[in-house]
Amino acid sequence: MKSLDDVLQGIDGALDESVARLFELLRFPSVGTDPAFHGACRDAAAWLKRLLTEMGFTARMDETTGQPVVVAEYAPKGLPSHAPHILFYGHYDVQPPDPLDLWESPPFEPQLRKGADGEERIFARGACDDKGQLMTFLEASRAWLRARGSLPFRLTVMIEGDEEGDASHLGRYVARNRDKLKADVVLICDTGMWNAKTPAITTRLRGCIAEEVAISGPSKDLHSGYYGGPARNPIRVLTKILGELHDRNGRVRLKGFYDGVDPVPLSTRRQWKSLNFPAKKYLGDVGLAIPAGEKAYAVYEQLWSRPTAEINGIYAGYTGTGSKTVVPAEAMAKLTFRLVGRQTPAQVRKGLRQFVKERLPADCKARFKSHGGDSMAVTVAESSPWVGLAQGALKQEWGRDPVLMADGASIPVVGTFKSLLKVDSLLVGFGLEDDSVHSPNEKYNLKSFHKGIRSWARLIGGLAHQQESMTS
Amino acid sequence: MTDISRVLDTADKGLEQSLDRLFDLVRIPSISTDPAYKADCRRTAERIVADLARLGFSAALRDTPGHPMVVAHFEPKAAHGKVPHFLFYGHYDVQPPDPLDKWTTPPFEPQKRTGKDGVVCLYGRGTADDKGQLMTFVEAMRAWIETTGTLPIKATILIEGEEESGSPSLVPFLEANKAELTCDAAFVCDTSMWDAKTPAITTRLRGMVKDEITITGPRIDLHSGAYGGPAANPIRILSKLLSKLHDKNGKVTIPGFYEGVGEVPKEIKQQWQKLKFSDRKFLKEVGLSVPAGEKGKGVLEQIWARPTAEVNGIWGGYTGAGTKTVIPSQAHAKLTFRLVGKQRPEKILKAFRAFAKAEVPKDCRIEFASYGSGSPASEIAETSPLIRKSAKALKDEFGRDTALIGSGGSIPIVRYFKDVLGMDSVLIGFGLNDDALHSPNEKYNLSSFHKGIRSWVRVLGEVAR
Repeated sequence: MKSLDDVLQGIDGALDESVARLFELLRFPSVGTDPAFHGACRDAAAWLKRLLTEMGFTARMDETTGQPVVVAEYAPKGLPSHAPHILFYGHYDVQPPDPLDLWESPPFEPQLRKGADGEERIFARGACDDKGQLMTFLEASRAWLRARGSLPFRLTVMIEGDEEGDASHLGRYVARNRDKLKADVVLICDTGMWNAKTPAITTRLRGCIAEEVAISGPSKDLHSGYYGGPARNPIRVLTKILGELHDRNGRVRLKGFYDGVDPVPLSTRRQWKSLNFPAKKYLGDVGLAIPAGEKAYAVYEQLWSRPTAEINGIYAGYTGTGSKTVVPAEAMAKLTFRLVGRQTPAQVRKGLRQFVKERLPADCKARFKSHGGDSMAVTVAESSPWVGLAQGALKQEWGRDPVLMADGASIPVVGTFKSLLKVDSLLVGFGLEDDSVHSPNEKYNLKSFHKGIRSWARLIGGLAHQQESMTS
Repeated sequence: MTDISRVLDTADKGLEQSLDRLFDLVRIPSISTDPAYKADCRRTAERIVADLARLGFSAALRDTPGHPMVVAHFEPKAAHGKVPHFLFYGHYDVQPPDPLDKWTTPPFEPQKRTGKDGVVCLYGRGTADDKGQLMTFVEAMRAWIETTGTLPIKATILIEGEEESGSPSLVPFLEANKAELTCDAAFVCDTSMWDAKTPAITTRLRGMVKDEITITGPRIDLHSGAYGGPAANPIRILSKLLSKLHDKNGKVTIPGFYEGVGEVPKEIKQQWQKLKFSDRKFLKEVGLSVPAGEKGKGVLEQIWARPTAEVNGIWGGYTGAGTKTVIPSQAHAKLTFRLVGKQRPEKILKAFRAFAKAEVPKDCRIEFASYGSGSPASEIAETSPLIRKSAKALKDEFGRDTALIGSGGSIPIVRYFKDVLGMDSVLIGFGLNDDALHSPNEKYNLSSFHKGIRSWVRVLGEVAR
């Protein structure tokens, strides 16, 4: 295998320039959800288009129903037919910086500061999520191109501006541009490492659907003195239903709910076990001590490989100060279900409706409302060659086996790529737990940035090697 | 001619003047909640004082931090032996008349009109609530005094002017004037008949105690993706807790909850059955059809004689538009318990709290914020002499058995009389369901007024014996 020293040395030698470019990007206050910053979003997109053009890409800024998408294509001449087409995804929009007074340095004036622990950190909104992370890949590509002249695969870079806002904008865009975006794999740099020393590949993401249930009973609010007893109280009906949603072992009682929930392969279970997930600290940090999920599963399993039914909001009757003797006409709850394996949104919705209906008194009505943004769970097979490739690259760079990690949360775009393009995603990222993503003083360790770039370079190297061996 | 029939004769002959006096009162817009009508409230009180003084009461207007009270005493002349002493309560303040454009005739220009059904009604704000009702006992007393020169009992009249604004001055006033106002019992004229033909005495009022619970799980709101599963969700804990509050037969499951809840006497149950109350119609009017209370008990029994645990409000987490993937730190609920019989509010609260605490995992917290100490039920035995005599008087007037009914709600004045003055209340009123209290076109049937006066004439005679 050809040495990567030329590429890696190039990265090390030009790190200051890479940081300078990241700082330029960080200076755009590209808050996608706030109309006041839509100009800054456009500026950030234009800057990225220019950057990619300079790197030799054919780049454009496409309008969407939301913020513009930057799409850049690199199609090296003379690629062998078996060379893959890779889609790299990132987002240039950032979370709002509030509360501003908690920032030690202004959110859109990036600073490199050395901590008491000797660690150098880049502070700014977006330093990690996702400007810092997406730049690791772009800088790796740049270094590769500088050292080798051409990439060993066809590459399409897509950087959107609505990740922190409404995911449906990108969904519509991808649906309209299926042909151009269709690739063999999507690389996404928007996740974290296991810890500061151990890299990770995220191979499992839970899906999510959102449902609203409203139970109505009496035709109007009633006086609880004159009607209390004989009149049906929708709060009682609703809490009865919600109270029965889980059995005493924490299992969800909807019919068919666990259909398609596959057991986690033994090898993965072993690896998870070896991670010594700090359950006590994880719960202790948020003021809890007793795992509340399915009793038969460890905390990390509850989080990574088990589905949930969660009540996110409930509202009915009088909620002001003091009291009001009312039997309300309606009671409402908002629920989300985290999905795993092959669970489908339709199956869960059907189960919920049936469960509610079975418990609904004859004179009450139930109304359901589905909120958009359904996502199925994502499970990337550990046997996938892309996972193998990333494992090799990350191990070389970090000197440790990467953890095949799961994430309890959903990354809707992964589902979008899967459902619209039928393409799997490879999630490799260098964020750390203490990066304060979405919070004041967001940061990205310089080491994450530097070794992130080097990691991607090694992955590109792995791809080049694969092709050499296939060609020869 | 007996005393009673002579007094009734006087009342009948004086009906037109009685109506004039009522209309004079209705013409004053004594809206207690609106400061613009402060002087009108006082003017109303002054008019009542002057009227009672003319009748021979020692009557006075008594200032309070709010609107003044009217207090008047009557010592019967030539009383031999011990004469019972009763307090008569009413209120001279009225609800605001809005929306004005819905009134057929101006609210403070009372009118007597005959409806399509031939029923003669008195229209105006306060004709029923409570000027018309309080004037029934005042006019009955007038008839007694004009006919016999005295009353057959010792009477104290208390008319307040803040009932529609929560009676803020009442309890301090009762406390400051305990000795003066404590009587053998109180008659309150602010309730309704069972129907237009059937008189009623309200003997059972449920008590109430309130509580509010807050369950705290995680220290902060959590992302339901990053914590969903392992993290305790306070809404789930609260729902579970509340779902256990009733068994499948609608009985409250709190240990000890039913201590002191007696069975309704058989004869009273039979009487209630005779009222031909339609459970179906009652529920249908509010869009329901399945009785939700304790199985095996009729609606009337559920409302009048059975306790409840009711959730009046619940909230937690995200309640705005759309969705938010949050596990909230806290969830809350407001509850009220309606009490009957000898249920003690403080014991109910204690039992509920113990019940609730047991449902909360050890790493979560439950806190309670109560609103006052609550009040036990107010019940007068249907067999007590006072009820028996009053019921007989009403039966004599209406020619029908008096319905001894309950009310699911509490009437604060009854509680105050009991708590402060240690006095039971007998609730007799002549209102009807369609009187449009608190609404436009409030009315009082002329027959309610007329037979109301006659009823009190009889009640005074009966209870004097």
